[in-house]
Amino acid sequence: MRRARYIAAGLRLPLPMHPSRRQLLQGLAATALLPSGAALGFGDSSRFVPAVAMHGGNWRGRVAALRRLAWEVQRRTSVEVVLDARPLPLDSPELFKHPFLYLGSDGPLPAFSAAEVENLRRFLTFGGLLVADANDASDGTGFDGSFRRELQRVLPQSPLGDLSMDHVLFKSFYLLDAAPGRVLNRPQVQAALVGKRAAVLYSQNDVAGAWSRSEGGSWEYECTPGGEPQRELALRLGVNLALYALCLDYKDDAVHLPMILKKRR
Amino acid sequence: MNGPAWNSWKLVVLSPLPPWLLWALGVGLLLGVAFAAWGVRREPTRWRRFLLWGLRALAGLAALFFLLEPGLRRLQLASVKNRVAVLVDRSASMGFPVEPGGPTRAASVAEWLERAAPQLDALRERFSLEFYGFDPELSPVSLAQLKGDPPRAGRTDLLGALRAATGGDPGGSGKKLSGVLLFSDGADNAELQGGVGDRARRGLEELGVPVSTFLVGDGALKDLAVQDVKVDDFAFVRNAVTVEVQVRARGFAGTTTNVTLAREGAPVGSKELSFSSDDEVKSLAFTFTPDQTGRFVYTLSLPVFPDEAVADNNSRAFTLKTIRDRIRVLLVVGRPSWDERFLRGLLKQDANIDLVSFYILRTLSDETQTVNDQRELSLIPFPTDEIFNTRLHTFDVVILQNFGYTEPGLSIAQYERNLEQYVHNGGALFFIGGDKVLGEGRSALTTLAQALPVEPSGQPANPEPFKPRLTPEGLRHPVSALGSGTQGTDAAWGSLPAIPGLNLVTAKPGATVLLEHPFTSVNGKNAPLLALWDYGRGRTVTLATDGSWYWAFTSHASGTPTRLYERFFGNALRWLVRDPELTTVTLSAEPASVEPGQPVAAVVTARTPDYQPAVGARVRVELSNVETRAVAGAQEVLTGPDGAVRVEFPPPAPGAWKLKATASLGDKELGSADDAVAVRAVGPELADAWVRPGLLEQLAEATGGRAFKLPSDGLPEVPLLDPPVVEVGRSRDEPLWDRWYYLVLLVGLLGAEWVLRRRFGYI
Repeated sequence: MRRARYIAAGLRLPLPMHPSRRQLLQGLAATALLPSGAALGFGDSSRFVPAVAMHGGNWRGRVAALRRLAWEVQRRTSVEVVLDARPLPLDSPELFKHPFLYLGSDGPLPAFSAAEVENLRRFLTFGGLLVADANDASDGTGFDGSFRRELQRVLPQSPLGDLSMDHVLFKSFYLLDAAPGRVLNRPQVQAALVGKRAAVLYSQNDVAGAWSRSEGGSWEYECTPGGEPQRELALRLGVNLALYALCLDYKDDAVHLPMILKKRR
Repeated sequence: MNGPAWNSWKLVVLSPLPPWLLWALGVGLLLGVAFAAWGVRREPTRWRRFLLWGLRALAGLAALFFLLEPGLRRLQLASVKNRVAVLVDRSASMGFPVEPGGPTRAASVAEWLERAAPQLDALRERFSLEFYGFDPELSPVSLAQLKGDPPRAGRTDLLGALRAATGGDPGGSGKKLSGVLLFSDGADNAELQGGVGDRARRGLEELGVPVSTFLVGDGALKDLAVQDVKVDDFAFVRNAVTVEVQVRARGFAGTTTNVTLAREGAPVGSKELSFSSDDEVKSLAFTFTPDQTGRFVYTLSLPVFPDEAVADNNSRAFTLKTIRDRIRVLLVVGRPSWDERFLRGLLKQDANIDLVSFYILRTLSDETQTVNDQRELSLIPFPTDEIFNTRLHTFDVVILQNFGYTEPGLSIAQYERNLEQYVHNGGALFFIGGDKVLGEGRSALTTLAQALPVEPSGQPANPEPFKPRLTPEGLRHPVSALGSGTQGTDAAWGSLPAIPGLNLVTAKPGATVLLEHPFTSVNGKNAPLLALWDYGRGRTVTLATDGSWYWAFTSHASGTPTRLYERFFGNALRWLVRDPELTTVTLSAEPASVEPGQPVAAVVTARTPDYQPAVGARVRVELSNVETRAVAGAQEVLTGPDGAVRVEFPPPAPGAWKLKATASLGDKELGSADDAVAVRAVGPELADAWVRPGLLEQLAEATGGRAFKLPSDGLPEVPLLDPPVVEVGRSRDEPLWDRWYYLVLLVGLLGAEWVLRRRFGYI
């Protein structure tokens, strides 16, 4: 059922190219070799594909939501995606092929192993982006408490802080002035910086919950208090997260500022 | 034979006894006289007493006479004259006329010296006159030289000449100096250029002799001159640079004229100047923005008026080296991708790069789910015309990353020719592959493809991960040199992770392939990954993959941080913009500004394509005039063991000159380089025809001398150190005591005293 939906979604997209017979064969060969079963064509490695961090907690809850995000990014922007979400262990070297990593759970995270801490630290230091999301909309307990504890181990020098609404995240594609998710628990996104780059973006609003669709094709969770407009805003935030991961501070370039300021007026 | 003419004498003591013994004996004599007096103190008859005292005292004196052995020293005395130095300025400005149409200043001095001969002869009775010219070295000069040889020195150093004249004894006569007579126009361009300051005043006072000055020339000359030009040694391309100019106008009250600045014949700017007085210095500034890197000759020019004293100082040429402050990079990205993300991270991090980037974030088929795009999206229109037409020339490097749209509004088909010409005319293009270009996608970019060193093979891209292999050229080329030496470079590339696929292309003839696929071949050759070439005057690099970001990020999976990705792109950008350190042939004029009459010299360095010194390379260097393009000279030389060689051309005419070097080793061209040289029309000596009476007055006042204008009659009274010193020549001693009658007198006195004492009843 889910597979059929992806194919249907794919039909709405412009064809990226005309695959040759050779490519098809190579793709099939690669499919047989790859453990995830994903066929990588030429250029696929450079495309946006969200990775989902596997951990001791419930990491599976938003995998579908991440696929939906990839689909929305493909649909709304020029970004080419691989319509998939790659679950990866936190200590896997494969993380270094997927610079966008989602970490979420609806409960507390068990403590990361030393290898996970070290690998994640290196991932963040050398250019990876971690999008953390409290699926349980917790504050101080549950996911929130445990994530803050673990992040302190990963990036002890980079504490989380509120991200100003002037940050490029809120203009990387859509112009946003709020950061809601499935809920609106905390209006700000928080960030941990490595240099000037936000290496960790953290929402306590279960943003991915707003992206999640059920097997039947309906939205899996209701967005409160804003309903469907809030969901659209959460989707836009997701697109902006993907574009921030891909373009960094592109929209802070001087060439964009006059027009963005004019639009915000 | 006549003896020497003794003309003086003095009394001297000729006794051979040492002084202390003479003193002791003298005291003994005194005691003898005293005892004699003491012995007759009770003599009741006064005359007897005084007679005895007198006789003993006279005898004592006579004994003293014999003791001291007085003599007469006959002397021959000679009177030695002190020196007076006559210093004549021999700098080129002394060739200016004293007044319009009059004789030169130098001729005027010679004429005066001739006219003042009687007074100078009178002075010779007391002093020894020594004549020197300074140019600026001090050397004896004769009247004939002053009259016949025109002054040529390019520098006037009054204080230096005075120090040389007073510090030693240039004539070697051993005589002391009593004064200096200085003949000059005062146009000092050395230590006293700014007048007599505290330090110069101390220096003048230390001379210790009065310096009397004679000003030659007057201030009635008309002259317009570029007096001074101030500009930095180098400027940054596309950044405003200011040239500060001082124009001096003498005798141009009420005149308006124009100053023009030109770069090798092409006008840069012009400014109007008005003069309200007859001696005026006007400052003005030209601000312009150089648009090309390299060294260029700029010329400031003033019109030449018919009655000007000097025409050559109406223009001044100088060189200005224009360099990059930062490499201005235009990054045009087909769509956001990880390849773009890590390249952007690198470019933004590099403080030497000024990045302007445009990404296509939305295509016509994307559904943004917005009601009002203007208010809800942060997107701006893709300003194709601005970046590919009007502003293209302002970039040092254009990076096209997987950019291959055919849709209206996104296609750059109509600007391909601009881009191709931009490269051909000296620009740089870094073309990065992906699934939309180099044979993939629908966009062929056929016109732009002319500038690329590769062409699509017609085969679909290879998606298999692979580790690229360095070609022999890649082992040594600066773009792919990631380690020290070939082994280090090979090891560095070997340490990088495999990258996911490449566009299958073929290298064009003339292209240099640095990296290639180790197995996949196209048309019988390994598929190139990294290829480059010179296209026209520009350069192009093609990287036929969109997976180089693995070198940036995936390479860190093992935990060993490297900066190989940064080094590779840094190398590529430096090569593209022809970083001087990465060119095979360099040419440097030494110096870049040449004074009149000086030779033009340059150093050429040649390197082989693998950037090793090209030993024994044949280098041809041409010197040509920028305006006329006439070749003034050409030399063919061979480079030395360090790949360098120096060439020198005879002094060319004033103006702007270009040096161009081409190098070859065997039958292989190594490349070419050029540089610019400004040959000045006049040095500082002739830049100003004015005289400086004030300086000469200050100079005379500081030394205790007097300042005069060159008088029409003879020599005025000048202060000189007096009197002349008298010195001893020869002498002869004649003894006075060695006479028999002095002995008889002594014996007589002593005998008379003895006889009288007996008669008066003393023992």
